Amino acid sequence: MTRKLLVSYMTLGYPDEKSFIEFVKGADELGTDIFELGFPPSFAKYDGPAIRRSYEDVLGKYGDFFSLIRKARDVTDKKIIILTYLEDFVDNLDEFLERLKESGATGVLFPDLLIDFSSDYKVYINKIAGHGLDPTLFTSPSVPDRLIAEVAPLSRPFLYYGVRPTTGVILPISVDALVKRVRSFVKNKLILGFGLNNEDDLRRALESGADGVAIGTAYIESFENGGLTQALETVKRMRSILDEYS
Amino acid sequence: MELSEVLPKYWYNIVPDLPRPLPPPRDPKGAEFSRIELLNKIMPKEVLRQQFTTERFVKIPEDVRDRYLQIGRPTPLMRAKRLEEYLDTPAKIYFKFEGATPTGSHKINTAIPQAYFAYEEGVDHVVTETGAGQWGTAVALAASMYGLRSTIFMVKVSYEHKPMRRVIMQLYGGQVYPSPSDKTNFGRKILSENPSNTGSLGIAMSEAIEYALEHGYRYLVGSVLDVVLLHQSVIGLEAMNQFSAIGEEPDVLVGCVGGGSNFAGFTYPFIGAKIGSRYIAVGSAEVPKFSKGEYRYDFPDTAGLLPMVKMLTLGKDYVPPSIYAGGLRYHGVAPTLSLLLEDKVVEWREYSEREIFEAAKIFAETQGIVPAPESAHAIKAVIDLAREAKKNKERITIAFNLSGHGLLDLTNYQDMMVRYS
Ligand SMILES: Cc1ncc(COP(=O)(O)O)c(C=O)c1O
Repeated sequence: MTRKLLVSYMTLGYPDEKSFIEFVKGADELGTDIFELGFPPSFAKYDGPAIRRSYEDVLGKYGDFFSLIRKARDVTDKKIIILTYLEDFVDNLDEFLERLKESGATGVLFPDLLIDFSSDYKVYINKIAGHGLDPTLFTSPSVPDRLIAEVAPLSRPFLYYGVRPTTGVILPISVDALVKRVRSFVKNKLILGFGLNNEDDLRRALESGADGVAIGTAYIESFENGGLTQALETVKRMRSILDEYS
Repeated sequence: MELSEVLPKYWYNIVPDLPRPLPPPRDPKGAEFSRIELLNKIMPKEVLRQQFTTERFVKIPEDVRDRYLQIGRPTPLMRAKRLEEYLDTPAKIYFKFEGATPTGSHKINTAIPQAYFAYEEGVDHVVTETGAGQWGTAVALAASMYGLRSTIFMVKVSYEHKPMRRVIMQLYGGQVYPSPSDKTNFGRKILSENPSNTGSLGIAMSEAIEYALEHGYRYLVGSVLDVVLLHQSVIGLEAMNQFSAIGEEPDVLVGCVGGGSNFAGFTYPFIGAKIGSRYIAVGSAEVPKFSKGEYRYDFPDTAGLLPMVKMLTLGKDYVPPSIYAGGLRYHGVAPTLSLLLEDKVVEWREYSEREIFEAAKIFAETQGIVPAPESAHAIKAVIDLAREAKKNKERITIAFNLSGHGLLDLTNYQDMMVRYS
């Protein structure tokens, strides 16, 4: 069987620079395949409370988030996808993408791209690719099937499918039904995210054909409850579940 | 065809068939708590699961289908022949008569499954709000069907002017409070600002949600949310079966819009199946959300306890004028319908109370049915369309949803007769 991918999310510089770098380093060693690093937006509108808290926490602490990407780059060779909102950078997108590239990021994911810029999403995908970055697309149950099928081949290195309406908020959903359905028409790697911090959901996602999962809220909450040690414990636990299915 | 063959086995969900992604519900900026998370304590679990489902077809539980049959579903699809003759139009006019249910409107279609899912979960008490009284009546009946208790916050102006509505709810075992009330913090706050506040749907909704949270009860939602539109699809799915049984297809589909549930329930299955070429949503000119509403994130309730949704809205604090079609006084439009209006898949019209009164009278005189004032908005649009068809010599088939009868709105009609005759 193929290895199931662990995509680890962390907010840039959270909770402080030293712990952040330690986390990236540790999470890499513990089996993270791809990193997603959150670049604080002015309004994390499609994110849940934990990720919003982490953004608020770092916003006043740093003048420059690009240098944090660079520092993360220095401790890992894995892909680094920057997660932020297009809304904030749409007016100077070329400059922003260029700086991401220079800082060592390999891709970018805008959760608002298909929702708020759906009529010309292709223009933005081309721009991202034009700067030598991977466009990673974010889809969810509220994206029509037709559009998911259309965008999936454009998404690299995987297609992100968020199963709940916001990160980290647990609502009753049928993960398996959702995954089976998109799996039927998505050919590239399918990574599931959004509130998959209970093991049951995670297992069902993997059993239903997901190629991996993205974890974020669970790490932030671990940091809040037990600091770096607990956050890395969570990475280890996630990896071991994935390995059962690898 | 057997009746039970006309009644569908699945509800239809339009979300996967929309032209573009539906903007998700979200928490406001700087939120001190997650409203999305709070939904877990507000709605029955299965209702919440269906709210966020992406499945195109959702199975109707056997028990719910059974109740649907018992309340007189499938409702009749009727041809308005006398109205056609009166208008001397080449158009054929059909209507789906949701007033044929015991509570007199389409609202029972979602009250039953929501009460069922609450009951299945072990909840014993449900809470809701009502404006004109149609939704509250439906909840009181559905609750009593499953042996649940029900509490209904009724907009004070209706509570005072529609005593008969209150009586029906009480007959079904419902506990009815006028809103704003002294039963909730929100109600008490509103009353302390203005003791003679006559209430609004948004305020009553806020009270009902707070009351449910406070007591660990569950809140049943009457319109606007996707899950309600899903349940209401039973109307359109039945109509599709009925049309195919008589070998007809509608060209134009029409319905009135308060929150959007009867319109969506009637038209979405046709939109999804690409049957028909025009879909027309009709609102009240006095509550001009189509012409003056903005497409943006707003709260469905005045207190802001529910997550924000992107919709056409006049603003959550909008105070509607006291028109008689109480069910059309809501400030917003269901998110999926707002998107379809933005993308011009659905057209809209707005009519004044005077215009709809005339339409209601014509319909009553020709077809014998007194329509709910809400439904009379759809009738007015149909009359205009039939007249346009006459002018253009078009043999089109028009179908509309007669969302309710108006036999409990007679004092309203009496007032309108005095005002407009
Ligand atoms: C008879 C009738 N029609 C229409 C409506 C409007 O609601 P909706 O747009 O959700 O169908 C109501 C609401 O109370 C109603 O009672």
